[in-house]
Amino acid sequence: MRQIIKATQLLADEWPLPGEEASSTGAVRLTLIDYLAWCGGAALPGVPAGARVAVRLEPADDEADLLPYLGQLPLIDVHFPKSAEGRGYTQGRMLRERHGYTGELRASGAVFIDQIYLLARCGFDAFELAEGQDPQAVIAELQRFSVAYQPMVDGLTQPLRRHR
Amino acid sequence: MYRYDTIDQTLVAERVAQFRDQTRRFLAGQLSEDEFKPLRLRNGLYIQTHAPMLRVAVPYGLLSTRQLRMLAHLARKYDRGYGHFTTRQNIQYNWPKLEDVPDMLADLATVEMHAIQTSGNCIRNVTADHFAGIAPDEIDDPRPYCEIIRQWSTVHPEFNYLPRKFKIAVTGSPADRAASEVHDIGLHMRRNEAGEVGFEVLVGGGLGRTPIIGKVIREFLPREHLLSYLEAILRIYNREGRRDNIYKARIKILVKATGEVAFREAVEAEWALLRDTALRLDVAEIDRMRAFFVPLPYETLTDIDATAGREPEFAAWYRYNTRAHKMPGYRAVVVSLKAPEIAPGDITAAQMDDLAELADRISSGQVRSTHDQNLILGEVRQQDLYETWQGLSALGLATPNVGLLTDMICCPGLDFCSLANAGSIGIAKQINERFTDLDYLYDLGPLEIKMSGCMNACGHHHVGHIGILGVDKSGEEWYQITLGGSASGITSLGTVIGPSVAKAEVATTISKILDVYLAARQDEESFLQVFRRIGVQPFRDQVYATDH
Ligand code: SF4
Repeated sequence: MRQIIKATQLLADEWPLPGEEASSTGAVRLTLIDYLAWCGGAALPGVPAGARVAVRLEPADDEADLLPYLGQLPLIDVHFPKSAEGRGYTQGRMLRERHGYTGELRASGAVFIDQIYLLARCGFDAFELAEGQDPQAVIAELQRFSVAYQPMVDGLTQPLRRHR
Repeated sequence: MYRYDTIDQTLVAERVAQFRDQTRRFLAGQLSEDEFKPLRLRNGLYIQTHAPMLRVAVPYGLLSTRQLRMLAHLARKYDRGYGHFTTRQNIQYNWPKLEDVPDMLADLATVEMHAIQTSGNCIRNVTADHFAGIAPDEIDDPRPYCEIIRQWSTVHPEFNYLPRKFKIAVTGSPADRAASEVHDIGLHMRRNEAGEVGFEVLVGGGLGRTPIIGKVIREFLPREHLLSYLEAILRIYNREGRRDNIYKARIKILVKATGEVAFREAVEAEWALLRDTALRLDVAEIDRMRAFFVPLPYETLTDIDATAGREPEFAAWYRYNTRAHKMPGYRAVVVSLKAPEIAPGDITAAQMDDLAELADRISSGQVRSTHDQNLILGEVRQQDLYETWQGLSALGLATPNVGLLTDMICCPGLDFCSLANAGSIGIAKQINERFTDLDYLYDLGPLEIKMSGCMNACGHHHVGHIGILGVDKSGEEWYQITLGGSASGITSLGTVIGPSVAKAEVATTISKILDVYLAARQDEESFLQVFRRIGVQPFRDQVYATDH
């Protein structure tokens, strides 16, 4: 059973990967193309009636395509094929800060302990870690910094407003 | 200058702790070399030819003497007793031990310094005019804004994994002394008709394999929008910049591919959504930052003839190594790190300590680093210049050659850098051995030689009046020479003179080039002016005529 970290807890993941069968609880994760098709009424063989449907974004995907569906999405998974991939940080911030998405925002793929803090600041609240990462160490790493310079959703100190 | 408060201090301390942990995991085999690499790079640590290299940030080139003494301490304790100032106003140590680096960073943190983002594909140390705050032609002091940019860019969560490195330079004067037009973003301070301060914004300049001069994408950006505008540019770049080819990943390629107009429209559209967010700077915050850079309590002095009755050596030093200051009775002193016998930009621990002592005694207790690899004492009373010269002479830091042929920019090259095709320090030595006659150098006048050991162009060769680029020809070191580049005034990129020359021929080739200049010179024309008038052909004819 794949485990994820969500809100600093280690949990079993209920969401199958894109291409995998729906879970027994009816959870299914689609690529953006499939998700948009499904939203447009297409019948997809892997999506049972009454399924709960999540979406995975790849780096080149435009998260703005999801705007009409943000309220109904239980999970947006932003995929990092490589740890050097940086577009997902922007996708995360846009979803959380600009578009007000409040569901689970997950980073998956090449997600290593040393990116966790940056991802969390961009609004990610769930992490599907790369192989070999120690979940307890990752949870501790979320607390690595107690201050930051950039005004962001996490509400850490905002030194740009220090004079107040 | 800026002083850390508990927020800044906490942040660097937590960063040191993080890197200590990362280094420990690497040494324990829990992190692979590939996993560790992006982490160490973002803390200034390269693995070079002989040893690790640590690049320490000198934000916008400003150092207190306390910090300079710490740099000396690091050189002594962890390195071989010297450091190397770079073209980005930073200092590099060429011989630290990997396992010592966390301690070096902890030592730096005690004097409000760090090595964060001095390498890696992220926003690098912001650079500025080295005469900021003292230049007579200045519109406003850029350093408060540089510090704001430093803070905003430090551990920026969204922009730590950019397609490629990203460099920002800021100038406060019409004269560009920061090579700002060959940076990913160049910011030029401007005053609008209402007298308000803002920035002209250039984007997409850069050297390297594809040298390009930055394009103006906004004529005037009110200062309160500085960060939101930068964030808009960076966001577009982070999303759209190429990640499939390292040689096409800089923002200059994106701007070129998108087209200037379309790129500007994209930035402006993003900015429209960002400008009134929490990134907007308010006046109180800007003023708080400006208060760190208020001018010193200057004495009321008048200009004097500092050289009257002094020996000619002092007069020569005064002429070439000092610069005008905005306050009467003061001068800025350039400390030449270009003595003939040393690698350009190198300075020993003892020199750093003694220079700190001199700066405390005669100047403001601050030292500046320049992008042409010298240092500056910014606030010297003219009546103290003679003593300053004596002091610097005793330290070997008064070579009267600033702005002249031997004031070369030179990257570490093959001697240290694992990316190099060819040596550059050896070429600097060769040039120094050839051109020993100071009167000849004075006759030549202003001349910038800039040298890089490979296409990465850390030595800014494209914008040298004479640029020298190391190339690898079947395992041998050869050098391609360009003429007519400049990064100040009208920025221009050098023209390749012809086929590259063998290592032993570099100084001879430069001699021939200078012969053409001297023969063609009219009145007081500088090398650059002559080149711009007569073009590359006469130089080409001369250099290659006798070879074949
Ligand atoms: S120009 Fe090339 S050789 Fe010189 S320091 Fe840069 S990467 Fe190294």
